[in-house]
Amino acid sequence: MLTFLNRIFVGPFYARNAGTFLVIILLAFGFLSAREHKALITACLGSWFLLALVFVLWGFYLVKVSSFVRQELVAPEHLFLQTLWLVPTPSRYALWLAIQIGLLAPVIAYGSWMIQLATVYEKWDSLTAIVAYLFCLIGVGAYLNDYRLRHPGPDTLRIPHLQLKLPYELFFPVYWLRHEPLSLVLTKAFSGLLLAGVCRLYPTDDYDQRLLLIGLLLAILGHAQVGGQVSAFEKKYLLLLPNLPFTWWQRLVRYGLTYGLIWLPELLILGRNYPAEIQPDYVIWLWLTGWGWLLLLHSLAYGYDILPERWLSGIFGGFIGGLLLIMFGVPVGAWLIIGWVSAVGIWYRTFPL
Amino acid sequence: MLTVSNFTKAYTGRTVLTLPELAFSSGIHYFRGGNGSGKTTFFRTVAGLLPFSGQIWLTDQYEISRDPVAYRLRVNYAEAEPLYPSFLTPRDLAGFVGQAKQAPAGQVEQIARILGVNTFWTQPTGTFSSGMLKKLSLLLALLGSPTLVLLDEPLTTLDVATAAKLFDYIRQLHTEQGVSFWLTSHQDVSLTGLTLRGIWQVGDGGIVPTT
Repeated sequence: MLTFLNRIFVGPFYARNAGTFLVIILLAFGFLSAREHKALITACLGSWFLLALVFVLWGFYLVKVSSFVRQELVAPEHLFLQTLWLVPTPSRYALWLAIQIGLLAPVIAYGSWMIQLATVYEKWDSLTAIVAYLFCLIGVGAYLNDYRLRHPGPDTLRIPHLQLKLPYELFFPVYWLRHEPLSLVLTKAFSGLLLAGVCRLYPTDDYDQRLLLIGLLLAILGHAQVGGQVSAFEKKYLLLLPNLPFTWWQRLVRYGLTYGLIWLPELLILGRNYPAEIQPDYVIWLWLTGWGWLLLLHSLAYGYDILPERWLSGIFGGFIGGLLLIMFGVPVGAWLIIGWVSAVGIWYRTFPL
Repeated sequence: MLTVSNFTKAYTGRTVLTLPELAFSSGIHYFRGGNGSGKTTFFRTVAGLLPFSGQIWLTDQYEISRDPVAYRLRVNYAEAEPLYPSFLTPRDLAGFVGQAKQAPAGQVEQIARILGVNTFWTQPTGTFSSGMLKKLSLLLALLGSPTLVLLDEPLTTLDVATAAKLFDYIRQLHTEQGVSFWLTSHQDVSLTGLTLRGIWQVGDGGIVPTT
């Protein structure tokens, strides 16, 4: 039964969050060497404040994991999982604990590294705290999963339904907000904070426009999973879409408007925070470039069942290549043209309707 | 009315339907076959939802791949087990599909009244019973000015009163506007009172006429 449950919860969780994991891997291991990581862990082991910050981040991860499991439990295609009720409570909890360990594997792996270093430096108080917190995360997660199983139709707080007629361009954004809010918040918070942070870096040194382009590259990669999410949403809930008499470009324009809306907050953030060294029109070009590249990622992901590891390695390769080209001075105009032309070209080739 | 030639539909290398040449005249046709025989696959493919190899011609004028927009404007489809985003209302979905299918003014409201969808017009579909979802899917499939409407299991979960109204409307569309209908059903279609032009048996990777 565990293998079966792993196929429902653990595998799809990693597949669906491949983009988020990419961002975490890039942040955690792309910019910091193993030596710097060890220094960071050592600092955390010696400071309760820093250790608490790590615990907060792990707590966010637990929230993400739990919301995924809760969402899967109430999905119509998983209603048969209600039969898990019939499994005796001790066995059911053992299953939830095993699933939770699988879902929390990245946190447990990093925690184990911290524990190993705590042993080396004989930081027994920090070690105890980490072990206790990890057990707590696993236990609380398992309890929350079982609670949702036993309370399948909870009276939870829901976003009220709009009384306005919803146009197609808003279908996915509203779905994202209502059904995958954590993914929306994490994606937009990462992208927005990154761009604002990059803008704030300018006064600290003699940076040129390339720094903003690198920030933009990372912000776009932070949205790498959105194309797959749009595709999965429409494949599941809007089966009739291919039957509608739209040309390839009419379909692309609609997606373009949806992505423009999703990407709009970044324009406001850039507009408010752009450094004095950068011209306002450059900010507009930068934002338009990001829009085009989001559409390109959509064209690449839509309608395909791409293996997460393949998508991840493609995105990672794209990041390395993009970083090199930015460092060699490829201007924003070139990125703008490449993004939009490729988005349109790939869409046309894939969907010649 | 619709011609299929050199048609092959396969899932991950496994061929499920092969139709060298098949012509369907206009009128109301009934497709029957056991579970998994390929009825839904055939309907979805004819509706343009699934890729396939071969040609599908509508009225000898529009080929599904060559004239994708004109073809889709004239071929509508209602799925057997409809599922929509839980936050959308019939108003949202009918507004979108009606605009895409170029529904004439007043048509959405008229069909909504016939099927009783107007009584839950602004309710989110997440609160719907399976019968209400079915009514909504039938409404969407009747929008515009179709030449052919594919109804996959239209009787499932539909209440008797609405089913009677639906078949009256189908009869009216067929008689007055020449619209063709294809139906699949595991129920007794003779109860619909519709005059069937053809009955087809789907199975063993093919489709053959039984009358």
